[in-house]
Amino acid sequence: MDNIGPILETLTHRLANIPPDFLDEPRMAKSNKGVGVAALVNDVLRMLGNATPLDNLERFDGMDAGKDRNRLALTMITAWLLADEWFIRAALPAAQFMTILEQTVAELAAATAAHKFTSDPDRREELARVVLARLNYRPEGESLAQATDRLSSISGMERRRLVEASRAAEQRARAIREALAKKAAEESADKWTRE
Amino acid sequence: MSSGAPQEISNYPTLSGHGKAMLDFMAEHPSAPTFRNQSGNRLLDHEVAELREFEQKHIHQPITWTPGLIPDWLRQFIAHVFTHVPYYRALGSAPQQFTDIPTISRADLAADIAAFVPDTVPLERLINFRTTGTTGHPMLIASHPVVAARYLTFHKRALLLNGIRLRHGRGQVGVVLVGFQQRCFTYTSVTPTMDDSGLAKINLHVDDWREPEDRARYLDALAPEVMTGDPLSFAELAKLELTNLPRALISVSMAMSAGMRQMLETRFRCPVLDIYSLNEVGPVAVYDAAVGGHLLLQPELYVEVLDSNDQPVEAGQRGEICLSGGFNFCMPLLRYRTGDFAAMASSVKGPMLLDLAGRSPVRFQTRTGAWVNNIDITHALQALPLPQYGFHQRADGSCVIRLAASVMYLAEDARQALAGLFDIRQLTVETIMTDNKILQYTSDLEGAYS
Repeated sequence: MDNIGPILETLTHRLANIPPDFLDEPRMAKSNKGVGVAALVNDVLRMLGNATPLDNLERFDGMDAGKDRNRLALTMITAWLLADEWFIRAALPAAQFMTILEQTVAELAAATAAHKFTSDPDRREELARVVLARLNYRPEGESLAQATDRLSSISGMERRRLVEASRAAEQRARAIREALAKKAAEESADKWTRE
Repeated sequence: MSSGAPQEISNYPTLSGHGKAMLDFMAEHPSAPTFRNQSGNRLLDHEVAELREFEQKHIHQPITWTPGLIPDWLRQFIAHVFTHVPYYRALGSAPQQFTDIPTISRADLAADIAAFVPDTVPLERLINFRTTGTTGHPMLIASHPVVAARYLTFHKRALLLNGIRLRHGRGQVGVVLVGFQQRCFTYTSVTPTMDDSGLAKINLHVDDWREPEDRARYLDALAPEVMTGDPLSFAELAKLELTNLPRALISVSMAMSAGMRQMLETRFRCPVLDIYSLNEVGPVAVYDAAVGGHLLLQPELYVEVLDSNDQPVEAGQRGEICLSGGFNFCMPLLRYRTGDFAAMASSVKGPMLLDLAGRSPVRFQTRTGAWVNNIDITHALQALPLPQYGFHQRADGSCVIRLAASVMYLAEDARQALAGLFDIRQLTVETIMTDNKILQYTSDLEGAYS
């Protein structure tokens, strides 16, 4: 976060006022409905002054809703954020933007519903701060210490909460499998018909 | 011939004195079969009361939703599922459009059932139902004693549509579940919501009885109000000399032809209900001859008919049955593709499924080279009382009809019924060599499967 970026509120405000089109369903391979995210990423990269071979965008073609839907939904939101005038003027290398859209988005989408990054004030701030930090920027008006502290507070606490939630979810899944595997569960209970 | 130690406490927590007497009567009758397993209703006091309320709410509630118009209860259900069910939570926010919710199939449930159990379900009393089917993925269904007991509400609803109100209670047997397999799960129980009326799950296979004649003696002694089973077990039941006939037969898990239904109705002098039921969601629909289709039974089960792109087909078109909602709170399903096919239509009695058939459609090439759907074979054989049959087309275009040994006397009738579609000289008849269900329609011909 060595460099000075935009005022944070311009980014959170942008996220809060995202056009509904960017909250539409990402298109999946077997459907002809929804937003083609690879094409959207390509458009945004071009706006940012970068072109990238289409082969690099395969990751943005949704194949399986179960695995890809939330990540691609957050990709669309992040693409909207990166299309802000400040990022266009910053003229950063394509590789940096791609890292945001691939890695950062995947990390954040792993445990949080994408649309929360537009509807929840804390998540809006988290997305804006994380994107700036990964590009080595901090919000205008904040010292390095302040920006680091704020990022750690808003993102670190949430990540810790999510790690806990993830651990609890794994434990629960194991407990469900064990409960179903018990002899008593197999002996079942009365139904008047058996399929 | 009861086996094993009694387990009243865990299997029958609310067992009454007369309920205990009923269990003893069913297990200790001189003609009783070998009961190989132990199970029970496992219902607690407050659950029995809740089940009565559930029945009151759902037994007469009309099905008011129409295709394309999402009912309020489904919106709440979607919100619940996307908040509390791990699989759906991982998808992110709930889509605004219902048809944007990705569909799931048997394969998803088979891959990890734990992901479909809501965080809100306590695990202490989780039970499972295992399903293998004739093909596809073996699956473990997460369930609960209350879920199992809720089936009865929809059986009663189906019976009421046929003018039958159940009345057996204390000191009587409510139901006998009839199987006919080399080996099947058998036990006795009581139904607390029916004042501990008896329930026996038996196997008609002679290996389970001291002597074959005990089967009729035992069923006459029990005199159940209802018998449930499938066309294979009912075909065996029809051979027994019963004195006490049930007030209704309920058939699940296999297609039943009109000819088979008529044969059973004549033999048992009672209505025969053909219920489309799935382990995943329970009873879905019951066949009603007056409207010519399967009437939906659950007011809070939303049914779609989809094309291969997960989109609803035009009204009246056939497609895959896809279900959302239902009463299994341990495994709430959203847009679950069942693997079964039908068309949706409305009738004076409510929404219904037309031309219901399990598994993916198979096409067969006729003698003129034209393709016909397996439904056409079903229609052609409809009038014959066949408990089960298979139809297979070989790569050279010749065809085989497979019939149970007990109905081989209908072989020529079956050939003649199909003579309009296929060259009868290339139509052979074989005997089904297994007691189990078989795949009904298969083909080696290229282009048979879409």
